[in-house]
Amino acid sequence: MRKGFLVSAILAATAVTASVAAPSLEMPLGPGTFTTALSLITRTAVIVSLLFVWIVAAVALTLASGREVRSSSIEVRTAPLYCFALGLIAVTSFVLTAILFSYLIPYLVGLPLLVALGLFALITKIYGMIAIFHAIGTLVAGARSRQEMSRRRWLRGDLAMVLIGVLLLGAIRLIPIVGTIVWGLASVFGIGTALATKFGRREPWFLTWRAAEA
Amino acid sequence: MTDDACQRYAQDPEAHAGHLAVCERCREIDDVLSTPVVHRPIAIEALPLAPWEEAGYRAWPLVAGGAVVVLAVAFALCAAAGISIVQALATGVRSDGARAVIDVVDQKLRPFGPFVFAALFLIVNTILVLLLRRAPRGIDA
Repeated sequence: MRKGFLVSAILAATAVTASVAAPSLEMPLGPGTFTTALSLITRTAVIVSLLFVWIVAAVALTLASGREVRSSSIEVRTAPLYCFALGLIAVTSFVLTAILFSYLIPYLVGLPLLVALGLFALITKIYGMIAIFHAIGTLVAGARSRQEMSRRRWLRGDLAMVLIGVLLLGAIRLIPIVGTIVWGLASVFGIGTALATKFGRREPWFLTWRAAEA
Repeated sequence: MTDDACQRYAQDPEAHAGHLAVCERCREIDDVLSTPVVHRPIAIEALPLAPWEEAGYRAWPLVAGGAVVVLAVAFALCAAAGISIVQALATGVRSDGARAVIDVVDQKLRPFGPFVFAALFLIVNTILVLLLRRAPRGIDA
């Protein structure tokens, strides 16, 4: 009952957020022309080029802090609803805070705050997406038993799982409309899991006050 | 029995073996300690796979192959579209929808006035703080 209410509340919040924040989809659905085809090829070229950058970033981050990425990946697989709710609220908070800071730009303090917020949001999104790549790769291609793992030559380890995730999500992103929605949802999940695990470190965000014992 | 006798037995059980016959508490402790340990063979294969097992393995051929294939496809598509890969990347980075979303939300919230915005800001950030206070489940689940 309580879980059902939570799911419906999150779905309703998603619908409201999407209806307010979603940019208009300008996707030609009619018969194609040469210009339409060229713009589609350009769009695909841009997405695939960005996908290569994502692969490089994912490999670098997984090599640098594989344990943290794995920890965040486990979190999103064990508590997906919580990660989604947190991601949705965090994205809304980023947007509202950015609007607030943009009003402070004339007072000089707004610009550095806006830059700091943008950097934090960017780092959160990149880290979170890489954790999501790992989670998707593990769900799709992860070994279920030791025998299965020992039979595998290359398809094991964090790097392989991250790569499988990047390629799968990247392929889905190429699909018009659906790809954009799926990539956006993955971003929300990613931001949620990055914040839920404090970038994989599993430390509390806030210290709790406790009286000193004599 | 007295604690002194128990202490002496604990220090040298063999020399004071007769103490066991008169002290029930020491006899119970001795029974527990002399219980033989059962060594069962552990079937490693039957245990569930932990997330960190083989996680450090670096599948370089797979990674290199995947990256090269994606780069080749990107070059081919850029050539077909008549743009360089640097231009494609610049377009992709510039076309990030974050700024557009912020502008759209700002325009849609503006008619409601500053009080509604302030209330929304407080509510959203309060929920964010409340959600962030929850400990992650992760491997403890």
